[in-house]
Amino acid sequence: MPRKRIIFTLLHDRGNFMLSRNFRLQRVGNADWLEKNYNFAEIAFAIDELIVLDVSRGERNFAAFCTCLERVTRGCFAPIAAGGGVRTVEQARQLLRSGADKIVVNSALHHDGAFIRRLAEDLGRQCLVASVDLKRDASGEFRVWIENGATPVEGSARDCLARLAQLPVGELYLNSMDHDGTGRGYDAAMLDLLPPDWSIPVILAGGAGNHLHMAEGLGLPQVDAVATAHLLNFVGNGLENARRRLMEMPFDLATWPQRDCLKP
Amino acid sequence: MPQVFVIDYGMGNILSVLSAVRFLGATAEVTSDPESVARAAKLILPGVGSFRRAMESLRASGLDRAIHHAVHNDAKLLGICLGMQLLGTVGTEDGETEGLGLVNQRVDAFSPGELAGRKVPHIGFSPVKAAPGARLFAGLPAEADFYFVHSYRMAPDIPDTVVSSCEHGVPFAAAVEKGNIFGTQFHPEKSQTNGLLLLRNFLRL
Repeated sequence: MPRKRIIFTLLHDRGNFMLSRNFRLQRVGNADWLEKNYNFAEIAFAIDELIVLDVSRGERNFAAFCTCLERVTRGCFAPIAAGGGVRTVEQARQLLRSGADKIVVNSALHHDGAFIRRLAEDLGRQCLVASVDLKRDASGEFRVWIENGATPVEGSARDCLARLAQLPVGELYLNSMDHDGTGRGYDAAMLDLLPPDWSIPVILAGGAGNHLHMAEGLGLPQVDAVATAHLLNFVGNGLENARRRLMEMPFDLATWPQRDCLKP
Repeated sequence: MPQVFVIDYGMGNILSVLSAVRFLGATAEVTSDPESVARAAKLILPGVGSFRRAMESLRASGLDRAIHHAVHNDAKLLGICLGMQLLGTVGTEDGETEGLGLVNQRVDAFSPGELAGRKVPHIGFSPVKAAPGARLFAGLPAEADFYFVHSYRMAPDIPDTVVSSCEHGVPFAAAVEKGNIFGTQFHPEKSQTNGLLLLRNFLRL
């Protein structure tokens, strides 16, 4: 059984890194800011995995995203997933050439299953992370939203996830739009929407404000990894501290020596 | 350290492997040229994706023969993830496909029965038990965490081969060593300092 994972998600919008609250974006800083406040070569040692998403609300600049991806992942020897607006196999390959190991897909899961299958044929299903954004409607029922949370998908979230279970993907990134950026903890009720025979790893996202929320998520048997995209709550050595506290609890997270072990 | 050639046959996270090797101070180059591969002293065969496609690509380009040639001339070869699986005799992903046959073991899917509810793909950091005397694991603790992402595996009992093992419902081969041939089912280039230490061991061989 693999150890549970802590994942940090970076949200990119045309050259800037963003804070998202209920999918409304606020600019935090550009790649220089990120480098200054999150030294990734160092920070990456406090996380198990990094996800970088292009959530640009205007027209996407794919080339600029790739350049940015290359910059933030340099010197980061942890798994990296990237995505946001991937519509062609060539774009997926370009992300892999820019430092990504896995591709995050979202909207196409619901309206272009053929594209997902083509990606899986080319890259292997284990290379695909299915990202699903969920929001409760007025009656409290979950619905899936696509295109950066702008468009609802027809049908119940339960049906959408049952359909998704038939697609060749390697992991599920389950994100709560209602809890996104609020810092009030994950919405574990999303997990009840999964079919009983769900068989791929689940990443829980949306709402973590501190390490105690991460602990709640990691404690759930269906959850394989927890993610946070909160750029400000974990600034500086926040991720490192969160990991240390979780290990003291004790969660059985992966361990590795400090980087100075590589000095001759 | 000798120059390392990372074999590019259209399958895999070449950049990650390359940057890890360069970070460790080695001179590394990506190549898809069979002649450079045949002459190399140190080779890395990365790979992500389907066994069948990978073997088709290696055969079509003549890289399969070049790898055999290099290995017979004592080149050190490290297969990573799919790259390790390709060292085996037969792959069963997408129909049966003959592998490079450098390690005497077939590659099968995790079967639902043996998984006992565990998820597939096997994704994440899992502890690997280093085999006594395994050269790749020199200086690492007897058990260290490495990052895996795979749905197929080699069973761990392999003749004439030093096998370091991991477990996902069943034990499987996490790393193999047979003379100058090495393989890791996990991604050392994605396994933080544990992986960098292992890669450095390979570079120093």
